[in-house]
Amino acid sequence: MHRKRLWNFVNYLLLSIAALLFIAPILFMVVGSFKPEAQVLSEMGTLRAVLPSEIKLHNYRDVFVRIPFGRYLWNSVLINGLIVGLGLIVNALAAYALARLQWRGRDTLLVVVLALLIIPFEAIAVPLFYQLSALGWRNDYLVQVFPFVANPLAIYLFYSFFLGLPRELEEAARVDGAGILRTFFAIVIPNAKPVFATVAIVTFLLYWGMYLWPLLMTVDDGVRPLPLAIATFYTLPPVQWGDILAFGVMMVLPVLVIFITFQPWFVRGVATTGLKG
Amino acid sequence: MFRYLILIGMLLCLAACADSSNENGGKTLVSVWAHSGQAAEREVLQTQIARFNSQQQAIQARLTLLPEGTYNGQVQASALADDMPCVLEFDGPYVYNYVWQGKLIPLDDFLTPALRRELLPSLMVQGNYRHRQYTVATFDSGLGLYARKSLLTKIGVRIPQGPDSAWSVAEFNAILQGLRKFDVDGQVLDMKLNYSGEWFAYGFSPVLQSAGGDLIDRSEHRSANGVLNGAAAVEAMSQLQSWIRGGYVDPNLDDAAFTQGRVALTWAGHWEYPRYNKAFGKDLLVLPLPDFGRGMRTGQGSWNWGITSSCKRPGEAWRFLAFLLRPEEVAAMTHANGAVPATRIAIARSPLYKAGGPLHLYARQLADGYSVPRPQTPAYPIISSAFEQAFRDIQNGGEVQAALDRAVAVIDRDIGDNKGYPPVMMHRDEARTDD
Amino acid sequence: MKRVLMIKRTHVSEKTIAWLFMAPALLGLALFILAPFILAIVLSFTNVRLGSPLPVEWTGWREYARLMDDAAFLHALFNNLVFALVVVPVQTLLALGLALWLNRPLRGRVVFRTLFFMPVIFPLSLIAVVWILIYSPDANGLMNHVLRLMSLGHWQTKDFLHDPLWALPAIMLTSIWQGVGLQMVVLLAALQAIPAELYEAATIDGARAWQRFRHVSLPQLRNALVFVVIVTTILAFRVFDQVRIMTQGGPEDHSATVVFAAVQAAFDRAQVAKGMAMSVVFFLLVLAITLVQRKLLKQTRD
Repeated sequence: MHRKRLWNFVNYLLLSIAALLFIAPILFMVVGSFKPEAQVLSEMGTLRAVLPSEIKLHNYRDVFVRIPFGRYLWNSVLINGLIVGLGLIVNALAAYALARLQWRGRDTLLVVVLALLIIPFEAIAVPLFYQLSALGWRNDYLVQVFPFVANPLAIYLFYSFFLGLPRELEEAARVDGAGILRTFFAIVIPNAKPVFATVAIVTFLLYWGMYLWPLLMTVDDGVRPLPLAIATFYTLPPVQWGDILAFGVMMVLPVLVIFITFQPWFVRGVATTGLKG
Repeated sequence: MFRYLILIGMLLCLAACADSSNENGGKTLVSVWAHSGQAAEREVLQTQIARFNSQQQAIQARLTLLPEGTYNGQVQASALADDMPCVLEFDGPYVYNYVWQGKLIPLDDFLTPALRRELLPSLMVQGNYRHRQYTVATFDSGLGLYARKSLLTKIGVRIPQGPDSAWSVAEFNAILQGLRKFDVDGQVLDMKLNYSGEWFAYGFSPVLQSAGGDLIDRSEHRSANGVLNGAAAVEAMSQLQSWIRGGYVDPNLDDAAFTQGRVALTWAGHWEYPRYNKAFGKDLLVLPLPDFGRGMRTGQGSWNWGITSSCKRPGEAWRFLAFLLRPEEVAAMTHANGAVPATRIAIARSPLYKAGGPLHLYARQLADGYSVPRPQTPAYPIISSAFEQAFRDIQNGGEVQAALDRAVAVIDRDIGDNKGYPPVMMHRDEARTDD
Repeated sequence: MKRVLMIKRTHVSEKTIAWLFMAPALLGLALFILAPFILAIVLSFTNVRLGSPLPVEWTGWREYARLMDDAAFLHALFNNLVFALVVVPVQTLLALGLALWLNRPLRGRVVFRTLFFMPVIFPLSLIAVVWILIYSPDANGLMNHVLRLMSLGHWQTKDFLHDPLWALPAIMLTSIWQGVGLQMVVLLAALQAIPAELYEAATIDGARAWQRFRHVSLPQLRNALVFVVIVTTILAFRVFDQVRIMTQGGPEDHSATVVFAAVQAAFDRAQVAKGMAMSVVFFLLVLAITLVQRKLLKQTRD
């Protein structure tokens, strides 16, 4: 019994050290954001890098002075909200058709969707930019939303989940006379909350930091999202590291809130999407 | 699905048609894009816009600021979509490429002889392409060394008094070694290695020119071969490399190497003067760059203004530019950003740049022909980017000849691929000015 | 039989509904991924350049031929392979290790899981900037300082991001750190879904910890692991943000990747055709690798 308790203690100690190593860069960022500029770098080699000595808010004030932070935040929330919201509907429907319905061309389309998963957005950004520029479509919210709604990764995640869902539920509903639509909305969706949470979080994370596309497509502060502000802070000398860190903290905070709120569902969703494929 | 399509269609139209109206309550709207520079600079431009709008009733100027680091890429992106403002600010040497693309109109009809005489010759040269003037500017730049007098006198060196008495490379090497004896980490020089982009071509191509090399053969602008990778250029770049690899140069990640006293010398531009002056006051020296053999050469050029070919009312756009060029407006801007005023009157009135002023050196460098404009060719963006890459490779210890050879190959292939940049769009520009 | 009956009752055939379900996604994929990709293929056979007023001409295989003897591109390709060969196994094993560690009777599992997952929620563009500071060549730099402490003072200060040997490993470390949490969550979830009876049965049969892992956990994890490996491989090949922000591919292309090189060509140097040719080659390569992986690691359905 004694040995077990000791083992337990060592286990927790090692876990805590590992966890600390893991979040050290984050701690460094958060702590640095409260420091006067000169100390951010000079204290990096000391314990002060991760332990605050005093809390100063001037970096946060600078962020609000240098960029319209509130406006950028609102833009980001709106754009990401639309991508995630529309994406959930569009991709779930497609995945269900691929996973459960019988129709010709299904297997071909499945392969096509998976192949599209490989194309990095950066590789098609230029031709897409040509395409939309030819239409004169740029510099608004929707040009930052529509290209990302249909998403092969999201379809793949939903598809994996639907494959793993017990068929009996749907078959029972359909024996009772429910059509495909009824079955999908009344039976499948209520049982698919975890995967919706997972896909929502994954797509949100994917696009919250999106940089290249809005850089190409927007010029007005009215529609520009948060990541572009990194350009303002990072490319204009003298670089104020404190400002960047403060901005970073504020940029991640909304994601953190969303993640912690949806975490239980998320983990369950991951379990069910990762298992089947 | 159909609703989705209709929605997209409607939105497309909304997006496309939104900005088409140029009238604003009876006033002509003049859209202005500028780079979002230092806070003080940005604020002055904003107040200038407000002042311009309040001083007359006919024209309403509207300002959009874009971050400096990504400015050119964004303008290119907008240009492709024909989403251009009326008045465009851009980094000086990019003018040739914009003109070649047909994005700018010549300003010759607007520039009065008096104004031409008034503007610094360095600006007139830089804004000129194929015998037409495409740009004006409210300031130019100064490039040199900043030093602390107290540290230099400690090792007892000659202090250059003007652009004609710059240190030779041999002297400079001796100074670096001398300073090193009094330095904790041995890093005594700051070359702003933390900067990115245009800094390298701007800050270090004068070294090539002073050594007898250049970024490109300027007689035809057809090839960089034998110039950028010639013996003179290789020797000059090897010299820079020996400083960096020899541990003389502070990486300057925090951009505070000089102000924190970690280095005695810094290779930088006029924009650092206010900060450095605040830190060291009377102890601060403004010196010319070292002479690499054929006489000291320095950089020139900064942000310029032009009028785009998509501007429907170039006359009104010019009125805004003329407003910015008034002596008091030039003074307001250069007071904020510390740059060399673009007009002779403004220089004479400037406490910093007038004869005897602490930055008079910069004004002299520009007025007396020590400064070299960056290559006047539409290939400039590729030249700058290739040189930056070569500089980075050399900085990191790469072989100098090989790095410069690669840059030459990139530049020459680009010029070849563009058939030598024939002036295909220029007639259209000229026609546009008549409407 | 059942199916046929139902279709009659609902009036709309299953086929129609399937296509209706697919339509919005197909439209999006076609317009915003497939069409630009086809355009990329087309452009790669031309001389098109960003903003150029010169007429566009067909140049056939010119850009591809050039790529084949473009040292910078080949270097980038090589870096991509090295990156994937290191990051995929290391990240997967690390994730598996963490997941197994957390899959023990443990109070506060949620807390630890959240901590290990934390880096995932940070956008890469932001992470990259923070890690530039961590890799600072200053003697005070966090990484240099930690290594000096660990080596009891023997560590020589390095400028990681500007060192031909260290630039790519530095980016790898950042990427692994940022990404491992997601795989850990996937694997942990899969582990927890394994019925306890399986372990109990194995224990009764006298299986030891390693044998339980080998014969119970691993087979049950198979699909999750395949998922993780395939997705990690694809993401590893797409590495871009870190490179662009942390090293710009330097020094001397030692940390350049194909996507970075393609974006640099198409945007920074206006060489659209070249960038597009790179993208096409890249796509074919990753497609081939993914297909081979799927063949080798066939997932079981149902």
